[in-house]
Amino acid sequence: MKSQKWLPYLLVLPTLLYLGVFFAYPMVSALQLAVRADVSYLPLRVEPNVAAARGDVLAMQTVVEILDRVRGEELLPNGRTRPIFWFLVRGESVSGEVVTGWANQQNLFVESRTESTQARVISGESASEWTLQHINTMFNDFRFRSAIWNTFLMIVVILPIQFVLAIIMALLLQAQPRGTTLFLYVYAIPLGISDLAAGLVWYALFTQRGFINSALVGLGIIDTPFIFIAAGREGWIFLAIVLAEIWRATSIVMVIVVSGLQAIPREYIEAGEVFGASVWQRIWTIVLPLLRPSLQVALILRTILAFQVFAVVIAISGGEVFTVLANETYRWYDRGDWGYNNPNVAAAYSGLIMLISLGISFFYLRAVRTQEEVAKA
Amino acid sequence: MNALKRRDLPEEQRRALRRQLLRRSGVYVAAIVLCLWILIPIWLIATMAFSTPADVRAFPKPFFPNPISTDTITFFLNAEGILSSTANSIIVAMLTFILSTIVATPAGYAISRFVFRGRDAIRLGILSVRAFPIVILAVPLAITFINLGIYDNVFSLALLHTALVLPTSVLVIASVFASVPYELEEAAQVFGCTPFEAFFRVVIPLTLPGIAAAGVFAFVTSWNEVFAAVLLTLTNRTLPAQILFSLNKASDPFKFAGGFFMLVPSLIFIFFIRRYLFNMWGQISK
Amino acid sequence: MARILIENAVKKFGDFVAVDNVNLEIEDQEFVVLLGPSGCGKTTLLRAVAGLGMLDDGRILIGERDVTYLPPRDRDISMVFQSYAIFPHMKVYDNIAFGLRMQKAPKKIIEERVAEVAELLHIETMLDRYPSQMSGGQRQRIAVARALAVESKVLLMDEPLSNLDALLRLEMRAELKTLLARLATTTIYVTHDQIEALSMGDRIAVMKNGRILQYDHPTRVYDRPAHHFVGGFIGNPPMNFLPALVEKHEGKLTARIGTFRITPEAMLNSALQAYEGKQVIMGIRAENMEALSIPADDALEVEVMVLEPLGAQNLLTIHVGQETLKVSTHPDFTAKMGQKIWLRFPSSKIRWMDKDSGRAIVPDLEKVMA
Repeated sequence: MKSQKWLPYLLVLPTLLYLGVFFAYPMVSALQLAVRADVSYLPLRVEPNVAAARGDVLAMQTVVEILDRVRGEELLPNGRTRPIFWFLVRGESVSGEVVTGWANQQNLFVESRTESTQARVISGESASEWTLQHINTMFNDFRFRSAIWNTFLMIVVILPIQFVLAIIMALLLQAQPRGTTLFLYVYAIPLGISDLAAGLVWYALFTQRGFINSALVGLGIIDTPFIFIAAGREGWIFLAIVLAEIWRATSIVMVIVVSGLQAIPREYIEAGEVFGASVWQRIWTIVLPLLRPSLQVALILRTILAFQVFAVVIAISGGEVFTVLANETYRWYDRGDWGYNNPNVAAAYSGLIMLISLGISFFYLRAVRTQEEVAKA
Repeated sequence: MNALKRRDLPEEQRRALRRQLLRRSGVYVAAIVLCLWILIPIWLIATMAFSTPADVRAFPKPFFPNPISTDTITFFLNAEGILSSTANSIIVAMLTFILSTIVATPAGYAISRFVFRGRDAIRLGILSVRAFPIVILAVPLAITFINLGIYDNVFSLALLHTALVLPTSVLVIASVFASVPYELEEAAQVFGCTPFEAFFRVVIPLTLPGIAAAGVFAFVTSWNEVFAAVLLTLTNRTLPAQILFSLNKASDPFKFAGGFFMLVPSLIFIFFIRRYLFNMWGQISK
Repeated sequence: MARILIENAVKKFGDFVAVDNVNLEIEDQEFVVLLGPSGCGKTTLLRAVAGLGMLDDGRILIGERDVTYLPPRDRDISMVFQSYAIFPHMKVYDNIAFGLRMQKAPKKIIEERVAEVAELLHIETMLDRYPSQMSGGQRQRIAVARALAVESKVLLMDEPLSNLDALLRLEMRAELKTLLARLATTTIYVTHDQIEALSMGDRIAVMKNGRILQYDHPTRVYDRPAHHFVGGFIGNPPMNFLPALVEKHEGKLTARIGTFRITPEAMLNSALQAYEGKQVIMGIRAENMEALSIPADDALEVEVMVLEPLGAQNLLTIHVGQETLKVSTHPDFTAKMGQKIWLRFPSSKIRWMDKDSGRAIVPDLEKVMA
């Protein structure tokens, strides 16, 4: 280990800058997009002049009464002038009071500049303000409840199975059967498979003319193919998605558990053996407690990744019949034929996923603290 | 296990031996079953990819490609946008590989080699970035990129993918450097190298495979990433984005060949970096 | 309590034979030390007795029971591991109680036993703490306490003191010895430290390359090494070895080193007869030679290379031909570098060894009796 004044900071700087620009900044603006709205207000002037002081503020579409009008002149960029009408108007301000002040013809809809006694506010100065509107849109969307329910249900069903499978894989590898390296490679293959590819693979199994139906019909168990993926068969779609996710994403847990297992000295397990613990007792009383830190990391990582699952869902179900949170984010953002082209609501979904992920990570870190840590604290 | 054949062995021992034999075969059976669980779906999608389009549409489906045909794959590759999006994917993944390696290597080196104020905080900070669903950041970034006029561009997608892999890369590379004792660098300096020469002549040759493995992992992550890709691109789609985009109107042969085509690189890459996987994730869980 | 019998034990790792046809008989309540350099197979043999790694051939009996293929938990053994293997996630109490819990002992008995062994090892105040807060010496005590708590027939110890610093090791050595003498379990103790072996064992089995070269009481192992290697491995300084030629001289069988002749003990005559005209190895311990500052007929003239005063003795380094000898003398004996001195070799203290096999040449008892 060396100690030097500025060099390490210089070396770390690119990473920090990079994460600042492409992580911290988007994170903040994601939250902002979700709770800010662009709005326009018309500030009234105390005199019929753009340079005059601003008075009360009117919301868009407010209908106002015209009390007086003057014809002024507006200076154009090319140095010439053109006529412009200023109106003294009375109407309800943003704060709900009846106010009067001057506004010019550019901001008002007036049928006749010289005759009309009524006008409507159509433009003003744009501003950005805090709003719960996008979040409300998200909460009130008819897909929101099923998206959040499905996402949580997926995590609750998938994670325990994945962890059991991953621990079994790791323990099998620990037993060092002949061909361990081959087994290890096979177990690690899904690590590099995208959720889209995994979705397509399992679509091939579950689709109406897919392999499961081929096998069932081929074996004579059923006569005609069973349609797993259809509206009203959410249970089957859920099953297909769960299997695809278990198939694809168990490897990462396995790799973390195996490296955790390798870090446990063999002598601990041998001591258990010598002092009379059976295989199960060794796993329960020695291996699993010592694996706790690795399991915790894997749990956090897997949970966060599970909230981002999206292509599996689209590949298997098309994304209409069955939906999850990340899918909704996509739908609201998407500018294509199927999407809503509303980045603000999409950002509200992003923010929700982020908050839930952080909340759960924090919960895990507190709840799965080892007894030792508690003792030290 | 020949001992079981010995007749004079007491019953107690025979039982222990039998139990051991049973346990060992149990380990094999379970290990093989789990292998099949992973390999059979891959086999089936490969069967589809190498069957004729007629076989792909047939029902019941064949479980072996017969005859073996590249028509389905060819059909997929010739579909609109596939070749160009594959090229885009490779460009984005290569850029991610290069960018993440360039940015992460110095940071990894600093974290593994230097003691400096704030080192643990920086390490923890980088690590905690992993606790955020980074892909979700694609939404505001898309808006920003639109405002900056670099939307729908493979380079801007590579920027996001680099942010996605950077925390992992830094920590993996730090662990790779940590595996080369600093004494080696000092020895090189004692024998006349400048610190820079020592780094390039001693450390880099020893750590290159590990750094490359981190890079390959970045490549695979980028190659596989769908969410940010569909959000950040419109006409310059990457392969996963193109496939996802086409799913609604795609035929089964397209989907199956596409699934297989996307899966092949992972088979190869995981094979090459399998030695480093534990190095990678083991470090991260510390 | 039980005796242990190891018969024709063989253990291989691939092509490497770690334990090569070992036979060992350990009496009930005996303390036997397996001693040897690293890689000699001593730990492998101990682990085979523990059941951590089955033998490829041979048998192991504990008591009258054949345990060769039984798992460790059915063998009625306990063990102290080299790295202690104290479970870091359990409190000291739970560590000590572990074995008893696995035997499903009643809670009350567990409490009593833990209290008892904790007192024995002076760790009764630490029961409520985690091992991570303990020093190496304390962990060692916990490991021993855990092993004693189960009251097994056989106690196995795998280099239990090797991770302690020198001072603590001395202290623990004495403490363990008194403790084990009182408990009277059958103990196998593995170490590479010959002083530990000499000071603790009832008997020592010296191993090399997977074989036992000598199995005897410490004094005999030290004094009458059965093999060239044993003499060289045990003792500090190790036994001196000089090549000598067996010749008849004036009707008597003698061994010649250069021009200097030694007459071996008469009881060895018949055994040495076979070596007439051949080279043998003569071994003698540093403290068994007599250094003289004046010439004598029966003494070999040598030159002092180095003199190291060690307090209780002075250690001389001497060249004889190509060989180096270490001679320990009374602290009053002084000599300068390059000074001539004379060495006397008492024939009763000389051990003769076969040059090829390294085995000690021992009196042919039948002929000596006859």
